[in-house]
Formats: sequence, C-alpha cells, structure tokens
Amino acid sequence: MTGTSDKRSLSRREFLRWGAAAAAVATLSLPALGQVARSPPPAPKSGVGGDYAPGDSAPLPPPDAKVYTTACDYCIVGCGYKAYVWPEGKEGGPKADQNAFGVDFPRPVLGGKWVSDNQHNLCLVDGKKHHVAVVPDADTQVVNRGGNHSIRGGCIALKVYNPEGPTRDRLKEPLLRVNGELVPVSWDLALDIMADVSKHVLQKHGAAAWGMKTYSYQYFENTYAISKLAFESIGTPAYAPHDKPGPGNDAAGLDDAGIDSFGASYEDWSLAEVAFVSGTDPFETKTVLFTEWMMKGRTKIISVLPRRTTGVAWAEKNGGLFLQVIPGTDTLLHLAIARLILENGWEDREFIEKWVANPWEIDAGMGRGTRNTPWQWRTTWGKLGTDFAGYKKWLLSYPFAELSKASDITGVPADKIRRAAEMLAKPVNGRAPKASFMLEKGNYWSNNYLNSASLASLALLCGAGNRPGRVVSRGGGHQRGWYGAAPYPIAASPEKYPGRRRKEIDLDRWVEAGKLRFAWVIGTTWIQAMAASQELEKTFRRLTRESPHQIPEATREAAVAALKKRVDSGGMVVVVQDIYLQSPIGGEFADLVLPAATWGEEDFSRCNGERRLRLYSKFCDPPGQAKPDWWIISRFARKMGFKDYDWKDSNDVFEKAARFGRGDVLNYHPLVVHAKRQGKRGHEVLREMGTTGIQTPIRLVDGKPVGTKRLHDPDLDLGPPVGATVHSKWLTAFNTHSGKAILHKTPWDLFSDFYERITPRDGELWVTNGRINEIWQTAFDDKRRPYIMQRWPDNFVEIHPEDAKKYGIESGDTVRIENDDVLIQTGGFIGVEDDDLSFTKLQKAGHIRVGSGTCEAVAIVTDAVRRGVLFTYSFWTGSPANSLVHRVPDPITNRYRFKLGKGRIRKTGESPYKADFRRMSFAPRTLV
Amino acid sequence: MNPDPPPCMTRRQFLLKMGAGAAGTVVAVRLGDLFVGRVLAQDAGRTVRLAAYPRRRIGSLSALQVDTPVEFSYPGDDPLHKSYLVKLGRRAGGGIGPGQDVVAFNTFCTHQGGPLAGVYQARHKVLGPCPLHLTTFDLTRHGMVVAGHATENLPQVVLEAEGDDIHATGVMGLIYGHDRNIR
Repeated sequence: MTGTSDKRSLSRREFLRWGAAAAAVATLSLPALGQVARSPPPAPKSGVGGDYAPGDSAPLPPPDAKVYTTACDYCIVGCGYKAYVWPEGKEGGPKADQNAFGVDFPRPVLGGKWVSDNQHNLCLVDGKKHHVAVVPDADTQVVNRGGNHSIRGGCIALKVYNPEGPTRDRLKEPLLRVNGELVPVSWDLALDIMADVSKHVLQKHGAAAWGMKTYSYQYFENTYAISKLAFESIGTPAYAPHDKPGPGNDAAGLDDAGIDSFGASYEDWSLAEVAFVSGTDPFETKTVLFTEWMMKGRTKIISVLPRRTTGVAWAEKNGGLFLQVIPGTDTLLHLAIARLILENGWEDREFIEKWVANPWEIDAGMGRGTRNTPWQWRTTWGKLGTDFAGYKKWLLSYPFAELSKASDITGVPADKIRRAAEMLAKPVNGRAPKASFMLEKGNYWSNNYLNSASLASLALLCGAGNRPGRVVSRGGGHQRGWYGAAPYPIAASPEKYPGRRRKEIDLDRWVEAGKLRFAWVIGTTWIQAMAASQELEKTFRRLTRESPHQIPEATREAAVAALKKRVDSGGMVVVVQDIYLQSPIGGEFADLVLPAATWGEEDFSRCNGERRLRLYSKFCDPPGQAKPDWWIISRFARKMGFKDYDWKDSNDVFEKAARFGRGDVLNYHPLVVHAKRQGKRGHEVLREMGTTGIQTPIRLVDGKPVGTKRLHDPDLDLGPPVGATVHSKWLTAFNTHSGKAILHKTPWDLFSDFYERITPRDGELWVTNGRINEIWQTAFDDKRRPYIMQRWPDNFVEIHPEDAKKYGIESGDTVRIENDDVLIQTGGFIGVEDDDLSFTKLQKAGHIRVGSGTCEAVAIVTDAVRRGVLFTYSFWTGSPANSLVHRVPDPITNRYRFKLGKGRIRKTGESPYKADFRRMSFAPRTLV
Repeated sequence: MNPDPPPCMTRRQFLLKMGAGAAGTVVAVRLGDLFVGRVLAQDAGRTVRLAAYPRRRIGSLSALQVDTPVEFSYPGDDPLHKSYLVKLGRRAGGGIGPGQDVVAFNTFCTHQGGPLAGVYQARHKVLGPCPLHLTTFDLTRHGMVVAGHATENLPQVVLEAEGDDIHATGVMGLIYGHDRNIR
C-alpha cells in the first residue's frame, strides 16, 4: 500500500478534492458517519468550498519530493514553513526511508513533521498536477520553534491554487467591464487602456487626480514597484495604504518618543517579568508569539481590552491582570497608572536620568534639531514634549490623571489600576520589575496619538524601551513588507497642519470631494477596510457605475473614449488588482480587473515583527495569466514611458530595491552586496538562510552578514562600520536627535470633544471590532476552507448577557446593528489657526456630515464582553463592521478611530446554527 | 427549501453491507455504490479506496454517567489511539442513545498532539484546553475547534448502539501523528 504509486484509485480525501466535478463537492460531502442521512444544511452563505468533510488520511511526501522553505503569508509573526512538492501518482510511506521527512510514523507528541488533512493540497507545477504539503518547519530554532503554528498558517496549504478545489475561482486573466459585465481581455489591451487614461488624467487633472490604494505589506519586490510608480514616476500625493486613509506613522506617539514600533525581538517577551499588553490579545492575533514566547516565559501579562479572550483568561489564571477598559479611554488609564508610579516614587530614576531627554536635548541637535519636524507639527509645535520634571509636574496636577476620575471614565476599578502600577514598577527586593509594553490597534485605532504617546511615556517611566526584556513595541498585524523607492511627495499633499507644514492626504475624503479621477487598487477591498464603509460605497457607486460614461465595447479606442469622458465629467475610473474578485470594489465598481500572482507563486521577500527577513519561495504555478504585482506595474510603467522598470525577475527587483533601504530599519542592502561578492543572487543567499533568515537591519561584520536582534540597545557592540554597513544612531540609542527618548503630555481635551459626541446614548451601544484567531483579514482565503467556514460560516457579534436580555437576544439569533449617526468629515484639508482641525472647529465650519450604516451578524451572548459594548469581527466583507465607524480622523495624525463604532441592536430572526451540529460553536472562547 | 436527498447509504452502512470490517484492510468501492443517486453519472463507476475500521464493543449505554468520560483505545492500541467515550447530557452531532448525547473522540490535540485526557469541561461540553497551547474542542459539534490552533476537528469515533452495547465502527478525521488512521 505505502510507498507505492497507485494512479487508479483515489483516497477519500483525494476524491473529495479532485474526483467529482467541482460543483458537486458539497453534494458529495459525507454526512456525519454513523448518523442517519438527513437533509443537508444549506450551504454556508460565505464559504465557497462546500461542507467540511474530515479525511482520515493525508499523503506523505516521498523521499524525492522537492522541498522549499518559506514563511507563512499571514500574521506578523511569520512562522517558518516548508513546502513539499511531488508529482501526482506518487506517495511516501510511514517508514523513515519512505518519506521526505526521514522519520517514522506515527509521529510522537510535539514531534512535528506531521501532515494533517488540511495541510495537503494539489497544485500545478509547469502545468502538471502535483501534490503539495505545507507544514511548519519542525527544525527551526527561531519564531515557531519546533514547528509550532497557528490555525491560520497551519492550513496555508489550502491557499494554493488548485484548479479543481475551492481556490478554483482565482482571477486568471485581465477583465474589462463592457456594458456592465466583466469580459476577458489581453494584458496588452488592459494596460494600453490604463496608460491612455492615465496620461489623460495626469495631463488634464494633475498628479493628485491619479491615485493608488494598495496593501503596504505584500512583499518588498511589489511595494518597491508600487512606491516607485506612485511617488517617483507619477509623483502623486493621492496614495493610501490598505489600513489607513494616507501614508505615515501607525503609532506616531511611539515614534515621537523615539521608539521604533518594531524594535523588540520575540525573545524579549519571554524575558520580561511583566508585560503591559494594550489593545490586542496576541493569542488571537499573533498566536505563536503568545504560545511560543509569552506562555513559555514567566511573563505576567496585564491585558487592556474591553473583551476577555483566550489569552486574557490565561493571563488572569497565571498571575496576570485584566483591565476591562471602556473603548477609547486608554489614555486616562495610562495617565492614572503613571501618576501612581510617580506618587510612590517607583519610576526608574537611573534610566530616566540616562535616557530621557532634558529640555536642551529636546530642542538641540545638529542642524535644525527637532524644530520643523513631524514631531513638532504633530505635537502642536512642540508643546506636548517635555522633560521628566515637566512631565511629573503636569501629571501630578492634571485632574484627569487622578485615580478616581480615571477609574470613572475608563470603567476600570481603582484597585486594579493600583495593582497594575505595582506590577509594572514597584521594586521587588530593591529592584524594579522587568516591564515590557505592547500595543496594537485596540489602542492606537481608538485614540491614535494620545493613546500611543501616553503609553510610551508610561513605559519610559518604567525603564522600558532599550533593554532585553524591557522593550516597547507594537504587536503587529500583518508582516513588514514595505520598501519605499522614493519618499511620499508630501509637498504636493492637499492637506496642511496649522502653521505651514503639509501632512499626508486622507484619500477617502479626497475621493468624496470628487478630486480623484483614476484609482488603482491593489490587494485591498478599500471600501470595507475604511470607516463609514457604506457611505463610501455610495460615493464609489456614484462616481463609477452611475456615470453615464460606460465602456461600450472591448476595444482600446471605445474604452479610452468612454473613460476620458467619465473622468472629465467628474467621475472616476477604478482598476482593481487582486487574487480574487472582491466586491463591491472589483465585482461592481472596477472598470478593469487584473489577476495577481501571490505567495508560493513567485520568490518574494519580507520581514516579520522582529524584523526577520526570509525568502518566501515559489513552488507552484500562478493561475492562468496571473502575474506578480511588480510585473504588472513594470509593464504599465513602460507603456507610460517611465524609465528603469526593465526588471528581469523578482530577484532583480529585490537587488535594485536594496539600496533604497540603506539607513532604514528593514535595511538588507549589505546582504545583496555580500551576495554579489560571492557571485550569488540576493534571493539565493536568502534562500540559503532558510526559515531562520536574518534580522534587519543587516550589517557586515568580518565580511559576513549579521542581523540585529533589538533596536535602541546600548549594549550592542557595533564596532567600526565596514563597507556597505550603515550604523544608524537608533541602533544603540533612541530615535531622536539627542538619542534620548522624549516624554509627552497627553491632555484629554485634544480628544474629549469628539469622544463626548460619539459616546453611545439613547439605546446605543459601543460597537468595537477586532481580529479572531481563526480568520485572516477579510477571510479571502478562509472562505475557501470548508474547515474554517464550519467554524465561522457568518459574522458574529458578542453581546453581554444583560444587554442581550434587554433586547431579547439569545445566542444564535441573527441581529442587525444600525447607526444613523455616523459622523463623516468633509473638506477641512487645511488648518490655519491652532485648533482649526479640532472636532469642535470642524463641526462649526460645516465640515461634519451625518451618514448611516448597518451591520448584520449572529449573536453570541457572553459575559466575556463588557456590558454596553458589542464586539464583532473587523473585516467581514459582506457586512462590514466599519460601516458603524465614524470617518473623522485624528487631526494630529489623520488616523481613523476604527474601534469606536456605535449602534442600536435588534433581533431579526434565528440563524440556522442554533440547531446545527456542523457549523458554528457557541462554547466560550475563554476556557483555559 | 432543501429537497430530501436521494436515497443514500452512509459509509458505515455500506461497509456493513460489503461485509468489510477486518482491521487494517482497505477496500476499493465504486462511488455509485457508496453514494447511491448522489454521484454524477460520469463518476459512478470510479473507484474510491476506503479504510475498513474494526467494529469493537467499547461500553454500554446503561453504564455511562453524564459528564463522566470513559477511556478506551480505538481503532488500535497505539498510545495515540486513546479515546474518550462520554455521555454529554445534551444532543450532539453524531450522538447515539435515546438522547443522541453519547459521543466519542480521540484525545490527542490535532495541533501538536497535546494530551486532552483529563481536561473535559462538563459545563460547556468542551475538551480542552490543551495543556500545550490551549486549544479547545466542542464535543457537541463533531469536535470543532472552539479556540486554538488545530488544523482539523478532533477526530470523532463513530459509534453504533446495539441494544445497550456501544460499538466503535470508524473514525472521522485524521488522528494526530498519523498519515492513516489504520493500515
């Protein structure tokens, strides 16, 4: 049976994947064995893979299977994986000499090198069917040591394009919308139309009317091409990454303090004695960081969230603390803890003396110092930055930092705030605890600047920021995949702070104002990803489908003529580039849809959350004519007449991009220099480093590439810079002019006018949102995994039992959440006077309009969520939670407050899952 | 809304009919026989290979107490075959007995093989958290992951009641560490 080839028969799983016509998969899925067959439940609304039918075998790779190293495509952690690929018709056996793992089966507990049913798939290699098993690298000594993994990455084999499996609906050819229908066209025609219309828009409407909305992370080779096109060749300010309305910092309060958002190493989280984790549960969203590094250390975790999750429950059980905060109030929690620390004299004086800037150091420095920098514009011309004495004086007299007041507003009991201060800073045996601080979107997407800046100040008081086990870092969402070919052309931005400095665009407001005429969207849904989604959708529809100028036939002349008329009459042309057709941006609004190749279909490179650079190997074919994004951009750019886009392959882009990263945190230029000296390609050297990779910035020491474990670390012995090595100051000091960190005052009144206006009233509840363990982003891959869709066939909303009782809702009911008070900023691009961009002034000036939004979900009644707060998944595209979120950005940073939606909830019926044993579980997620 | 499916034989029924059942055998069956009336015409004659599980008595309905799991080994005696037979006291997918509440599952986490014996949570009918990385499985939902990292449901042992006797007759899902549940 084993180790043999048997083409005539199929295993049951193979049959389910391949044997039947794809459309019949759901029909053929086995009923639960041992049960009397009965009417199958209706197909999941969102999934496209049919019902989940567990298999009881998985083929093993034979000894001669090809082995490729890669890392997971999904969350920030980027676990190391190996892909085993072998031709159809062969199968390995259970003895060590019969399989590519070289081990005997069955495997022991924690033995790794096991292929589960969902870790196997079929793919095409050079057009021929092959098996592929993608399994965590059990030999790795970094990140996911021993082959640990999450459910997301664990199932990543199912991402692979399988022409007869659930991924069969990948985009395969360029599509043009002719008379409302998408029809296949050639690459040449698609790119000719784009180039003709682009030239017209640039010539007639200017660079700011030509824009891009793209992922910021889907591999260096692609983002280098994107930034080269947008910022260097076109020179447009109309650019925004997938997760925010414009470029720039995510957690600017950290940057302004001098702390890089990804300075820490994963080991630091196991070295910390206490970790303050704000606005995220790493168990859910950075799983292996939690299960491999935080759980295995002795770290006591203080969790700050409105909702108890698995990781929070585990932390509470293991000496940690849960601060169940009312959404949006984190700043006051930070201030109250900081004040208790100062009142008790628990601050790390030695660290502060050495590493926190005094007034002269804040202002001084070579050249212009901190004057006229983003720090100064953001911090209202430096008024927030202060030294330790100034901070202490302000905080001890600031009424909102007083314990009882902060407890009232944050909803966190005073004794817990006191306990948090003790855990973080009270000396034990004369020594301060090693405290580290993590923040993520629950923190900086509810009150962007003040939350991140106040957390940084609290951390600095505790002596955190530049030492092993004493770090300050974002946890991270997606991986770090941006490589900028040119800086954002901020001088061309239409937005301006009070004073004379420009700030980055809010692209959504720019669209709403009718200023964007050509939009190229790459790898994002845009509409559901941004605030007030349904209002944004209306705008897109008006500018595209409701324009009288639609393409009448699939010729260059007819298409270009129609689209020129559209843009000249105030409409917009939309091009979408993706791996699946997303709606509405692609399915409804796009005039052109371009098929992209992705993970596993091209050699790519990227860093994870500890700046670990790896090669993500190509091991199978992309579908049809799909191409990597860098290729598509290069062909468009050539048609536009732009120079230096004649890249041969992805390695060529990787090597060309390298020199643009010199001096940056993700700098890998020395690796490319080293490779060339060895007569090798950059990708080749990276491939040799396997799943271990190397932590950027990379330096050359004794002629060899050396990684950097931690940033800002004064104990890092750099030695003299050699060759291509760049010794940036922030390697061994904080990232400020003086090298010392800066404390910031964070007065609540910079936020309170907006916060009071959006606080729920009259039957409204807070509606906050976030990720969950089982789903990645918009579930674009998960929707094609029957295994995941059985768990989450629909969006869900968690509601506290008291709220549920009030509204007559029980678990399994379908509910609708409505917000008829969605605030939307219109205009207000330019600030002149000091507080012109404050919410109060914007409202007075008529720049706030009121829209509406709805979201539907299946209710889960649980006391895990705070009373008065609903929690739902962030990115369920069919019913986006962001519809309930106000589109008024933080005026200091132009970042939305995605976590602060609100609405009224009502029951609309009962979901089928109430009486279904095969889909959705209502068991608590907090059983630890 | 959903018309009744055409007459269909469950895999277990089919195997019984075929007289298969010797442990370790793998039988080739025609799809048309396995899914009568539910296979596209062109696929009816195609062959599928199905493992034939042993049929083994593992306990009796009357001896089970609610929320008190009973250990047994299935389909063989490999240490990883340790399974739980449990009367949940609540209807469950694949449940047998008058209350359709008697189910059985393998007890090794399908993440990295952590032992789940001893971590049954009666109130919520959940097996877990796994002592290694906290994965939990819903025993009323065919062993679906509640929260955690497993890439498969917890393998469910297929049960059959014959009078008071409970027989194990198959496993739905791949047992941790295995490439096939039986050979």
